[in-house]
Amino acid sequence: MKTLDDLRRFYNTALSADLNALEAKRKAIMQKLTYIGVAIAILVIITLLFVLQQVGSFFPATLFPLIGAIVLFAFIANLLSKGYVREFKNTIIQKIVKFIDENLNYVPHRCISKSVFMASEIFKTRPNRYKGDDYVSGKVGATQTEFSELHAEYESGSGKNRSRRTVFKGLFFIADFNKHFTCKAIVLPDTAEKLFGSFGKMFQSWNVLRGRLIKLEDPEFEKFFVVYGDDQIQARYILSTSLMARIVDFKKKTSRPIYLSFVGSRVFVAVSYTKNLFEPRLFRTILHFELVREYFEDLQLAIGIVDDLNLNTRIWTKQ
Amino acid sequence: MYIAIMIIAALLLIPILIYNSLVGRKNQVLNVFGTIDALLKKRYDLIPNLVATVKGYMRHERTLLAEVTEMRAKAISDRTSDDEKVELDNKVTKILSRIMLAVENYPDLKAGENFMHLQRTLTELEEQISAARRAYNAAVTDYNNAVEMFPTNVVASIMNYKRRKFFEISEKERESVDAGKSFSA
Repeated sequence: MKTLDDLRRFYNTALSADLNALEAKRKAIMQKLTYIGVAIAILVIITLLFVLQQVGSFFPATLFPLIGAIVLFAFIANLLSKGYVREFKNTIIQKIVKFIDENLNYVPHRCISKSVFMASEIFKTRPNRYKGDDYVSGKVGATQTEFSELHAEYESGSGKNRSRRTVFKGLFFIADFNKHFTCKAIVLPDTAEKLFGSFGKMFQSWNVLRGRLIKLEDPEFEKFFVVYGDDQIQARYILSTSLMARIVDFKKKTSRPIYLSFVGSRVFVAVSYTKNLFEPRLFRTILHFELVREYFEDLQLAIGIVDDLNLNTRIWTKQ
Repeated sequence: MYIAIMIIAALLLIPILIYNSLVGRKNQVLNVFGTIDALLKKRYDLIPNLVATVKGYMRHERTLLAEVTEMRAKAISDRTSDDEKVELDNKVTKILSRIMLAVENYPDLKAGENFMHLQRTLTELEEQISAARRAYNAAVTDYNNAVEMFPTNVVASIMNYKRRKFFEISEKERESVDAGKSFSA
């Protein structure tokens, strides 16, 4: 396990040269953007004055050029920064991943496939907009793992009634589980019990979309999660008392909504994030240790799931 | 007129639903109990294999091995009563853990492939049995809740359904395995 001091040393030796080079690139892009921004602003002012002259009132005609300008600016910023982001990920993030564990492989533009995402059975809605990046895979101890950032959305309706709903946004992690099992178990955040108390349990047992409700003994675990599965005994074989305690500790560590599922002798963990992970800053300097620390901690959280859930303890028939 | 019929129909339906849910819960208890029985039998089937594997090495533990073989014979025989079987099962659990502890004395045996495979299978089986016992307690809790809470307790008393007991560890079993005793056997 690498400590923050190790990271600081690594930052000063291995990373600073690359960071400085990238910072120079970032500044160059910012310069270009400033010129373009000023040019667009001048254009917008001229257009607004022209429109005001013709129409005489402020709304709604003035909105269109303003919105158009913002969209154009964002599009250009995105285009210019593509190379910079790619280079940042291939050098800095790649180095941090190898620093944490030599055996891990990082592929910036890959992500967990949609079929695997659906196979976890955590999210029942099939997303029609699906993208992700920052794919990491490799063996942590005895456990084969892979994870990536995902953004899955469901868009419904058309034209004016189009609405977009987020199915899942955040870190999606898959690992080999340390026990053999054939049934399925899904662990979801417990919203009903929070809202309705003990009646919540009754409502949860009526959920026909999801197998049978499994009521477990750990009261803290039950407070945070609701479990569905197809076999009462197998679900308890998977969710031993110690694993339940570990899941609760992990949940407290992240303080974010987490979802787990156990399917096909593998464990899937989905951690919801609102921010975009592993993206370099464009509008502000990247020469801060705190930024590298954030990348490190996010990666460490994902890779640490193996230890947090004790997946390297292989005392049963699966090795 | 229609409202009256609907009310009567609802009133008739409710006891039927309660009756069915009670029967369902009782059957779930019996179902899980049956699975525990099956898992225990699997464990008994492992014992001859275990004894054969360790016999050659563990010359000092002959009495332990003889004891466990005898217990197994009794447990699978038809002539022992159900209560005796439960007691035997508890005893066998204790003896197995003593044997596993004694193996620590024999590094050759401990590292042997046969034994390691057996150990993993046994650990997995013990974990499955523990999961089954937890499932049994959950099923019994559900059943007891229905038998004692209102309004299902009304129908339960008519059906003469009584509260059931949980799977409990006896006081004797709660004392941890004494390592000293194991090595002197």
